[in-house]
Amino acid sequence: MQNVRVIFSKTGRAKYISHLDLARTMTRVMRRAAIPLWYTEGFNRHPYLTFAAPLSLGYEGLQETMDLRLQEEMSGEELVQRLNEAMPEGLSALSAGPAVAKAGELALADYRLTIHCPAQTVQALLAQTEIPVEKRTKKKTTKTIDIKPAFANAGVKEQEGKTVLSVTLPCGSNETINPSLFVSALRTATGEAYGYSVLRLALRKADGSLFR
Amino acid sequence: MKETLENLFLQVQKPARYTGGELHSVTKDLRDVDVRFAFCFPDLYEVGMSHLGMKILYAQFNNEPDIWCERVFAPAEDMEALMREHGVPLFGLESRDPIKDFDFIGFTLQYEMSYTAVLHMLDLARVPLRSDQRDEQHPLVVAGGPCACNPEPLADFVDLFFLGEGEEVDLEVIRLYQEHKRRGYSKQAFLRACAAIEGVYVPSLYDVSYNPDGTVAAVTPKDGAPETVRKRIIKDLDACYYPDYFVVPYTDIVHDRAMSEIFRGCIRGCRFCQAGFIYRPVREKSVDTIDRQSHALCQSTGYEEFSLSSLSTSDYTQLEPLLNRLLAWAEPEHTNISLPSLRVDGFSDELVNKLNVLRRAGLTFAPEAGTQRLRDAINKNLTEEEILDTAAKAFRGGWTAVKLYFMMGLPTETMEDIEGIAQLGQKVVNAFYNNPDKPKGKGVTVSVSASCFVPKPFTPFQWEPQDTKAQLQEKQQHLVESVHTKKISLSWHDSATSFLEAVLARGDRRLCAVLEEAHRRGFHLDSWSEHFDFDGWMDVFASCGLDPAFYANRRRSYDEVLPWDHLDYGVSKAFLIEENKKAHAAVTTPNCRQACAGCGAACWKEGVCVAKR
Ligand code: SF4
Repeated sequence: MQNVRVIFSKTGRAKYISHLDLARTMTRVMRRAAIPLWYTEGFNRHPYLTFAAPLSLGYEGLQETMDLRLQEEMSGEELVQRLNEAMPEGLSALSAGPAVAKAGELALADYRLTIHCPAQTVQALLAQTEIPVEKRTKKKTTKTIDIKPAFANAGVKEQEGKTVLSVTLPCGSNETINPSLFVSALRTATGEAYGYSVLRLALRKADGSLFR
Repeated sequence: MKETLENLFLQVQKPARYTGGELHSVTKDLRDVDVRFAFCFPDLYEVGMSHLGMKILYAQFNNEPDIWCERVFAPAEDMEALMREHGVPLFGLESRDPIKDFDFIGFTLQYEMSYTAVLHMLDLARVPLRSDQRDEQHPLVVAGGPCACNPEPLADFVDLFFLGEGEEVDLEVIRLYQEHKRRGYSKQAFLRACAAIEGVYVPSLYDVSYNPDGTVAAVTPKDGAPETVRKRIIKDLDACYYPDYFVVPYTDIVHDRAMSEIFRGCIRGCRFCQAGFIYRPVREKSVDTIDRQSHALCQSTGYEEFSLSSLSTSDYTQLEPLLNRLLAWAEPEHTNISLPSLRVDGFSDELVNKLNVLRRAGLTFAPEAGTQRLRDAINKNLTEEEILDTAAKAFRGGWTAVKLYFMMGLPTETMEDIEGIAQLGQKVVNAFYNNPDKPKGKGVTVSVSASCFVPKPFTPFQWEPQDTKAQLQEKQQHLVESVHTKKISLSWHDSATSFLEAVLARGDRRLCAVLEEAHRRGFHLDSWSEHFDFDGWMDVFASCGLDPAFYANRRRSYDEVLPWDHLDYGVSKAFLIEENKKAHAAVTTPNCRQACAGCGAACWKEGVCVAKR
């Protein structure tokens, strides 16, 4: 038995695979690749497979992680090669090896948020002393939080008429801020529903080192 | 347009229905492609993607280097509204190009209730609905599938229908199209040439005249079209193309698994069942072929489950050897085999345990009728004893739930037969409590589900009236009153949609106007749709001067010209009349393996008709 962490990217058409569907998709990838998965015992046997941080539907990710358990030992290089031969369009395995960080150590994520609006609109919102926004809680109610501190260090750049916002946000079991909250705040402030896309560049530990 | 689409995807539920790009979906370089085919399933992605016929033809077309076949499904309401708002025409999932620029738009007609979706999709594609409004600039609209056996309600919209099995005839039509294109294409000339191909029905080449009482007087071919059009069958299933891949969806679909077809047709001849007659004769695949095809599919898709799909799977002559062959690789690879409908009585407990038979659906039976007399009348070969024995076996194995499927409104049915449904349910409940080692503290649930009988073309019941809404409601009420235990849970289908299904199933060409008007008013047929508006439909019939009861509730005489009489599915009208008479006398007919009943399908000299008995 061997536990492995696979780092993979999810881009292009694969961004429409929901988190729920990703596990099923990956299981099938591994079955096609004839990777010796470890299966749970019992009546309804299934492989062991988890993802450190769900990626919202429609977001792209460059360094996502998936933990799996193999029945037999296999080198990281071979695993990556075999996975990539069986991956559908938009999914790609980058590396595989023993997990360095514990799942609970995940704390931050780097995002690049591209909003279809002029940079000054974004800057005006960032200049506010507070950026209040409604956030859904786990209990299906909403509460108002201030995302100003989280976005205080965001970098802003205008590119081909769109605004690119680079920001590192909490992404752990204690606190998570979805970058789309900024777009909601923008909508409240301007009354405009701007189009946007999100790219998650990396997952990090609290000390800023990469989550691997 | 492609950027607009990306934006729309993010605004709808389940974008994976529209994004394409799934594993094994086929994209081609347009420079290599001569013919573009839009394969349309007139229902949602998750329904259409579960359909085996579509998977077979998709792979088969794309196997030809110069043909590019793409998938198209009916968008859900949210997506449809956005597409209309942003002026996005219906597109192929693979290329995202509008299908109005394709050579062919092909529909598969699996149920009558999808007819309005056919019109919605043509409209959303911005293709004129009526065949005579489309010329050389437009795609050809073609259709096949079981409902093509009475295509008349769609005759004005579809340029040509494929009758029977499509694998050979579809390609013949496409090749002929390419030839005509090279020589200078005229739609009329092409359609006339197609009519000479066996299995192709071009409705515009037939004139239909009516008697004063509204029945069909005659169907007259013109421009050299044949008097009758015979369906096509594949003679040798072992030699026939079968895909070694399926498109593997991301989002959950109804049947998300690999499927192997093990035979076509059905030996049984249940008199209400259209599939049992229109797919005759039974032709089997060999164990070797099925084993090879199933394994290849599982390896290429990564599916953790595959099913053996055929009409009555347990009638496969080599079932136990087949299952043992399949289990030899399926077990070590953690692949489940599921059998949709199975008589488990003949199997060893060990084999049953290895299979995913009971695990998924629980134990289900389809007695269809409540008494032996009525089961004899409909030729449903399942006795009370068999049901109770199998139920008892399952209860001993720890099962606590059984589902029983019935039909209401079957020909010759009386209130006694309705009571029989409740009684049979009660006997299954008793079988549970009579089991000495029943699990302690556990009760039993027997679900009784009753659908409304819909008479279908090419069955011995094609002349029968459907029960009226009032009759069906009375029977439903009587069933409720006949059940005396809470262990039985009852459910039934809506009689209103069954009524419309009955109208369309045996309708004639005049219904085209009804469908067109219903489409214009935005009506859908599917009962789950919030838009189903029965009174609205009745109003449409009235506005077209037609009485739906004429189609659904009228007994037709044996010598009436039926709207589908010029189509030939091998099964003779004389045989169906014989079977109809036997039904009224509650006399059964042996299945094809016991004795040939001489239905007419032996004309192909294939399968069970020529097998040794
Ligand atoms: S001809 Fe005889 S054996 Fe063949 S399908 Fe008909 S009844 Fe069955």
